[in-house]
Amino acid sequence: MEQVLQNLIIALRASGVRISVSESMDAMYAARLVGYENRQTLKDSLSATLAKSHREKEIFEASFNRFFSLDGFSNPETDSYLAPAREPSEEDAPLTQMLLSGDNTALSMSMREAAQRADISGIRFFTQKNLYIQRTLQGMGLEGLDRDIRRLSKEDGASSRQKGSALKEARDLLFENVRNFVEQQFSLFAGSATREIIEKYLRNIRLSNLEQQDYHQMRAIIQRMVKRLNDLHSRRRKTSKRGWLDLKKTLRENVAYQGILFDPRWKAKKIDRPDIVALCDVSRSVEAVARFMLLFLYSLNEAVARIRSFIFCSNLVEVSHVFEEYEVEEALVRLQRGFGLGIKFGGTDYGQVFRDFKKNWLDLLSNKTTVLILGDARNNYGNPQTDILGLIRERSRRLIWLNPEPPAFWGTGDSEMRRYLPSCYLVKECSTVNHLERVVDLLLRTQA
Amino acid sequence: MKHHRDQHAASIEDIQHGFEEAGYICSQQIATTLFLAYHLDKPILVEGPAGVGKTDLAKTAATYLRIPLIRLQCYEGLDESKALYEWKYGKQLLYTQILKDKLNEFLKGAESLDASISRLHQYDDIFFSLHFLEPRPLLSALQREGGTVLLVDEVDKSDQEFEALLLEILSDFQVSVPEIGTIRAISKPFVLLTSNNTREMSEALKRRCLHLFIPFPEPKLEREIIRVRVPDLSENLRGQLVSFIQQVRKLDLKKPPSVSETIDWARVLVLLHASSLNQDLVRDTLNTFLKFEEDIEIVQEHLYDIAGKALREA
Repeated sequence: MEQVLQNLIIALRASGVRISVSESMDAMYAARLVGYENRQTLKDSLSATLAKSHREKEIFEASFNRFFSLDGFSNPETDSYLAPAREPSEEDAPLTQMLLSGDNTALSMSMREAAQRADISGIRFFTQKNLYIQRTLQGMGLEGLDRDIRRLSKEDGASSRQKGSALKEARDLLFENVRNFVEQQFSLFAGSATREIIEKYLRNIRLSNLEQQDYHQMRAIIQRMVKRLNDLHSRRRKTSKRGWLDLKKTLRENVAYQGILFDPRWKAKKIDRPDIVALCDVSRSVEAVARFMLLFLYSLNEAVARIRSFIFCSNLVEVSHVFEEYEVEEALVRLQRGFGLGIKFGGTDYGQVFRDFKKNWLDLLSNKTTVLILGDARNNYGNPQTDILGLIRERSRRLIWLNPEPPAFWGTGDSEMRRYLPSCYLVKECSTVNHLERVVDLLLRTQA
Repeated sequence: MKHHRDQHAASIEDIQHGFEEAGYICSQQIATTLFLAYHLDKPILVEGPAGVGKTDLAKTAATYLRIPLIRLQCYEGLDESKALYEWKYGKQLLYTQILKDKLNEFLKGAESLDASISRLHQYDDIFFSLHFLEPRPLLSALQREGGTVLLVDEVDKSDQEFEALLLEILSDFQVSVPEIGTIRAISKPFVLLTSNNTREMSEALKRRCLHLFIPFPEPKLEREIIRVRVPDLSENLRGQLVSFIQQVRKLDLKKPPSVSETIDWARVLVLLHASSLNQDLVRDTLNTFLKFEEDIEIVQEHLYDIAGKALREA
């Protein structure tokens, strides 16, 4: 039984619970003390000794249930196929005998032992599953079974043929069972390895390839990132408050005291809080990444207090309120579909967008504002209105353009990126989270 | 050390019964952890939201085991002179003054300074002995004959340094005093540490403890708790009250009502001779279990639904 406990601990470690040697010894003593009869008591005891935070308790709960629910061969169909009428004979291989006599317990034991010999707890990647299935089956003596099946199919007589076909079906069920078992073991032992890989993969993947279900995780990464940036930001402010001696001011103030530096004056670095105006393209040409850019914008809205957000396609509309009113999932759908926002989904018209901005919102800009444009600058060969972009640049502190396309495509076809380039303070390709992280840092960094 | 203990805590059910007699309803999880801690001589780190009875657990454990409770309340800046031991400076000074003559007499005949020093050395650390040591909670817990329950309350409020100091006590039940040496526990105390999770405790500390997370209780358990703590409350009203509180906890509140606040509310209802929950009654007494104006507003918005459901469920 202690081997089982060890395996549970290995599985827990693989799922990211840190367990030291002394803790595993505690668990062992605890298990000895309370015994293995009462499942709930055992679970509570192990939970107290192994899982040391709320998060770890949750992981423990899941792992424990998965671990001890591994029932072996309780497939109801097995019984019907393997009627005891087909008596195993002396010459049959051990596996054949077990299958024929329908001894589920023995089969389960044999499977576990074989898996143990194949070192199942070393499984880490889903690509290894087949290998382990094969090894386990071989460990159980698949060869002998196959030999018996071949032999029976050659023999004459109804009973032999019947026995042979029954064995074949039993063999399929055996495969099924072993596959399930390996599957379970994989989810037990490979928990963290897989998760780490997914996370790394998510950080570097091109945004357009993201699948719907990964957005959730993606958002967590962004939130973590935004939080880190927030921390950086507030720390900067704190140290700057202490202030430096302002020599000029001190001298000036102390003239009255005959030049004796009686009343020192300090200068504190004042931190500019970021003030952002964001314009996001949601047209069809950026459809694949629009959702991501909006997600980014949403996170930015949570992190930055003074931000005005707009989306555009054929025209420009303000959407700041959407971010405040709705949860992220709903907000994203609303923005992409443009429910009740008055956005027109024709061809992208950057010229019109800039005209709209100039007409309605130009006074948003001040010398403290950062303008952030997310888009591919594909203007359908319309008037690019570079002059208005130049005006925006003049009125704001800086203009940052994040383009989901790699630089090689800028200026090709109907892309006006090259023409917009001179008006921008910073143009970055932005198609991975790593890109975003760098850009956000730039945004929040203050210039001394 | 074991002999006096074995009569208690023979089994997990025993603990549950014993605690219930002492007025504390504990879940299976709590009882199991106590049982383990008791028999493995391990401290327990108790975590959970405020007001679920973490501190009470220790008090009840002391009642149940019939040993005294020593409590150390942690706060920022708590150090060893307040938690562990301190020298009785005054006593040391006083004694040297009183013994001045004695010393003179004793040193009479010593020719040189060297000789007097070496004579003094025969009695070396006389002023740094246990007589001059003022034990603080941690040390007195170790020294008490017959064992104690040591409660280190809100250990998350203390500093990292203090946490390091605790490690020696928690793992080996001993304290090192530089001037004296190692002081071992006469009988091992039953140690409980509570934390509200304002900061993550260090790995080293967690490794030495059993970990117990006490969540808000399930409705059944909470009804049981109210039954034991406020026996005057009618069964019908108890059901409504618990159902109401359980629903309130699901709302997005700044501070969800804790068990202790449920108990307070139950007492208030008894005082008001309430027979069932109605909206006016609830509205007037909301402030017994909600401590923020915003929370009260949120609950008032949903008052009709929640109260209705509570009445139906009970």
